[in-house]
Amino acid sequence: MNLATYARRNMFRRRGRTILTVLAVAVAVLIFATIRTTLAMWNAGVDEAASDRLATRHKISITMLLPKRYMDEVRATPGIAASTWASWFGAKDPLKRTPFFAGFAADHETWFSVMTEMKVEPAVLEEWKRTPNGAILGDILARTLQVKPGDRLVIQSDIFPGDWEFKVVGLYTPLKRTVDRNSMVFRWDYLNNDPRAEFFKDKIGWVMSRIDDPKASARLSREIDKKFDERDDQTITMSERAFSLSFMGAFSALLFVFFVVSIAILLIMTLILANTIAMSVRERTHEYGVLRAVGFKPGHIVGFIVGESVLISIVGGVVGVGLTLLFVNGLMGPAVEGMGMFPAFRAPSSVLLFAFALAAGLGMVAGIIPAIRASSLKVTDALRRID
Amino acid sequence: MDAKTDAKTGSKANAESIVSLTAVNKTFHRGKEPIQVLDRLDLEVPSGSFEALMGPSGSGKSTLLNLIAGLDRPTSGTVRVAGADVGRMTDGQLAEWRSQTIGFVFQSFNLIPVLTAAQNVELPLLLTSLGGAERKKRVAIALRVVGLEDRMHHFPRQLSGGQEQRVAIARAIVNDPKIIVADEPTGDLDRKSADDVLNLLERLNKEFDKTIFMVTHDPAAAERATVQRKLDKGALV
Repeated sequence: MNLATYARRNMFRRRGRTILTVLAVAVAVLIFATIRTTLAMWNAGVDEAASDRLATRHKISITMLLPKRYMDEVRATPGIAASTWASWFGAKDPLKRTPFFAGFAADHETWFSVMTEMKVEPAVLEEWKRTPNGAILGDILARTLQVKPGDRLVIQSDIFPGDWEFKVVGLYTPLKRTVDRNSMVFRWDYLNNDPRAEFFKDKIGWVMSRIDDPKASARLSREIDKKFDERDDQTITMSERAFSLSFMGAFSALLFVFFVVSIAILLIMTLILANTIAMSVRERTHEYGVLRAVGFKPGHIVGFIVGESVLISIVGGVVGVGLTLLFVNGLMGPAVEGMGMFPAFRAPSSVLLFAFALAAGLGMVAGIIPAIRASSLKVTDALRRID
Repeated sequence: MDAKTDAKTGSKANAESIVSLTAVNKTFHRGKEPIQVLDRLDLEVPSGSFEALMGPSGSGKSTLLNLIAGLDRPTSGTVRVAGADVGRMTDGQLAEWRSQTIGFVFQSFNLIPVLTAAQNVELPLLLTSLGGAERKKRVAIALRVVGLEDRMHHFPRQLSGGQEQRVAIARAIVNDPKIIVADEPTGDLDRKSADDVLNLLERLNKEFDKTIFMVTHDPAAAERATVQRKLDKGALV
């Protein structure tokens, strides 16, 4: 036996209460980890953005277009290894099999040589180049729309009227977990040559450039933007990370709410745990008096109480992490990925570790006040206390 | 002081007192109202004696026991126990001193319900630097002394009241303290169990030379002590 034996045995003194408290901690850890996983997955695209790529868009807004001729000037900038472009199409499924998917028109000659995390087989690429209305899909979108290479696909757009008919020439393979498998790329010239897109004629949405030296990112961005400073359509060039962040700015309020809710969950967990520990301590005040009488010091009493609180929160944390693996990684993740809402949705180990460590840490916090109260009682007062 | 041992204990007290109280006052406060519980009390307890303290409820018996056991400090006066001035020690020093000097026996046994008999007895030893094997050895000896070696793995709920009190006595002696203080040790026991416990205390006093200071309401229990004292309104009578 050692001093920890007492704290450990105390944990199961009121079995029902302990089990409920452990479950409360576990559910709090599960909710916290789920919210944090959502935030992490939301940010994953930013975190894994290529450091050797720059994005150039209209200085006013991503919704405003740039003249296609800018491409030549961007490519002519020393330090730019390759550039490509794309335009947002606002794709939607007329049969409503999916609520949302990304569809954009891209340059068929250069897109996949710059966006190298989307891999296509050479034969598919050749077929795309031969097929003006060719489209390349992510595997999840292809499954959702029930198409395979060679099939005809009709989609609509929020921006351009009517039905748009494509031929699926192949699928791309994601080389990073953050690549959206629920998107579709088709040829920009197909859009550009269609009379329904007359207003967008020879315009592009954004430019992606691969650079020779990631360290030159800031300088190259300034140089590119300087070229268009005196033009009607001015540009803003940024790292791919900043480009991704600018999209997420629209969701910042929602992400902040998620963050606040996750903190509130932890506070509730701490209060539940503190209440349980306070009840236990009140019931055992006399016993702590006996321990003090036989020579245990106030510090020992603090150790017993905080130890029990931490032990409960550790067990709750372990159960919570287990539930997270089961629920988020086993059930929710595949479903969310299958629906194309997130390219990847798995609880990262950093989130699991953080949730567990927070549970243990807050377990200590929850035990401190009851522990200090119990340990500071006079021995004679504690011995008189019978609850 | 009891007449039957007056002369004998008186001479012993002067020679080798293990407990010595001089002009001890103890005042509690109920709100702003002071309540004098002990009033300029003097007491000498010779080493190796078995003393019983009787008195009506509220006479100050438990307060006096708490002072001797180092659980409380006097408002004024001096309490010297086993050579230590209890009133001048810090809480930490008192805790350490108690663990080495005092063995406690309570009325309601006060065993820890989640620990076995052996683990309850081992508790005070956890505060020492003894290794696990040595602790186990001492626990076995203490339980053998109280006749419960075969109950060492039982939990308190699996023991009778008398057995629980004997385990509590084993816990009180496992550190080999100089003094055992017992607060109504037979108060929760039937006559047979009470006799067993008193026999055990007598044995600890005679065979192991432990000084025993016992508070009791039970005249039969007090009869077993070598010295009987009576406290009334905070003063020995």
